[in-house]
Amino acid sequence: MKINRNIIDPFVFFLVLGLLWEFSVELFDVRAYLLPSLTDIFRETWEFRELLLEQAMVTLEEVLFGFIFAAVFGVVISAAIFFVPIARRTIYPLIIGLQSIPKVALAPIIVVWFGYGLPSKVVMAFLFAFFPIVISTLGGLSATPDRLVEHFQALKTSGWNTFWKLRAPSALPNFVDGCKVAMPLAVIGAVVGEFVGSNDGLGNLIQTATGSAQTALMFSALLVVTGLSLILFFMIELLGRLVWWRAM
Amino acid sequence: MSTEEVTIALDGVGKTFGGEEGVRALQNISCQIFDREFVAVLGPSGCGKSTMLRIIGGLIPHEEGTATVLGKPVRGPSDDIGIVFQRANLLPWRTVEGNLRLGVEESNIPTEELREQVQTMVEMLGLTGFEKSHPHELSGGMRRRVAIGQALMRNPRVMLMDEPFGALDALTRDRLNVELLRIWQAERKTVVLVTHSISEAVFLSDRVLVMSERPGRIIEEVRIDLPRPRDPKTLPEVPEFGQYRVQLGELMGVV
Ligand SMILES: Nc1ncnc2c1ncn2[C@@H]1O[C@H](COP(=O)(O)OP(=O)(O)O)[C@@H](O)[C@H]1O
Ligand SMILES: [Mg+2]
Repeated sequence: MKINRNIIDPFVFFLVLGLLWEFSVELFDVRAYLLPSLTDIFRETWEFRELLLEQAMVTLEEVLFGFIFAAVFGVVISAAIFFVPIARRTIYPLIIGLQSIPKVALAPIIVVWFGYGLPSKVVMAFLFAFFPIVISTLGGLSATPDRLVEHFQALKTSGWNTFWKLRAPSALPNFVDGCKVAMPLAVIGAVVGEFVGSNDGLGNLIQTATGSAQTALMFSALLVVTGLSLILFFMIELLGRLVWWRAM
Repeated sequence: MSTEEVTIALDGVGKTFGGEEGVRALQNISCQIFDREFVAVLGPSGCGKSTMLRIIGGLIPHEEGTATVLGKPVRGPSDDIGIVFQRANLLPWRTVEGNLRLGVEESNIPTEELREQVQTMVEMLGLTGFEKSHPHELSGGMRRRVAIGQALMRNPRVMLMDEPFGALDALTRDRLNVELLRIWQAERKTVVLVTHSISEAVFLSDRVLVMSERPGRIIEEVRIDLPRPRDPKTLPEVPEFGQYRVQLGELMGVV
């Protein structure tokens, strides 16, 4: 029975929280446009399932494109920063500087530059996901033990092969860690982009639903965004298990 | 001795880490190591043994003197030299086979031939059945054997071994020493083995170079005239074995 406490404890805890929500809404007679009851939200989610799924697909596309660009570009840039001294002295401080700009504040101008459609949201997702991937991959590349680099020298391995056979696999666990941070951030980036300028997507739905006092639908959309983010995170987590080693 | 071929020659080699005011690691090291000789380098920890091997292996430069391997001055890592480091340095994401292959993948050996070579090495190392295992699934002694095999796969004429069995328990160490002798006899290599174990040095080598505290100098050279093949069970009963141990112990200042 002891083993199951890992499942039972959180389950009971969340059940109690849910019941509290449900009954306080009834007990204090909270207006539905302020805070709908949980059952209302679930009912609304089921009723609008097609709309929600459709909008989720829009957001998913933005997130995936943004994330993939961030992953590819992030790896290339971190390799450049690591191997090319001039890049370390120029691109690296540039990236640190750019990272310090609140990206949310960039959303309006991004929409102006890239329009109302898919590209502006992809750019937003990219901006949010890019930095953690660069920093973690860079950390992985630098963490390759010197003794292994020396070992490869003794085996007269070329620089190219030392990268592919040593540095890349050593950096992979860190890269995966970076992806785990970056994926939920990419979702945030896409949703922020949709807030600022979009005709569809879950972020847009959240905004229009709130604006028209369809609060239950707003919560439904929130639920779906959260679910989407969790699913994407666990997909990375699963893929990450292929990288079972840690630099030794 | 002069009729034999000199494989490694150090002449007045000195090394200081970190510039003029830095750590003086080696001082005026001169020695000759001959073809197919098994030489042990014995010295206290931190006296510069690893540094000496790194210089011979072409991994670090030295400021003073000359280092020559097979008649050529050392200028970077060479195919003639295989190095077994203090740590096994196996790649955790590669299997035993993959790790054995690592040093010969750039030499364009046909796939089938390479597979056979790896298999032969696995058998010689006594690792049959562990070809597909990863390093974390192996015992410390097995990892050592893979590390030695990886260096041997490149078929170097000289093997430099830096306390290869340092961290192992005494029993495993004895067994690996026997295997090392067997491999050395079969492969006819020149071996320089760094160790801080007096018994290991006496058991394995033709000659022991004794080093001083840092900055390392060679303070004595002891020829080990014990018959081969040597058996770890009977050798300790040979009186000369004890005498060599006492002699080396005195040189190292332990008795
Ligand atoms: N890369 C290095 N930079 C600075 N000092 C070093 C370096 N490598 C070794 N040393 C120093 O040189 C001395 C000899 O080291 P080492 O050759 O590793 O000794 P040993 O192998 O005999 O234990 C030590 O004092 C060590 O701290
Ligand atoms: Mg050492």
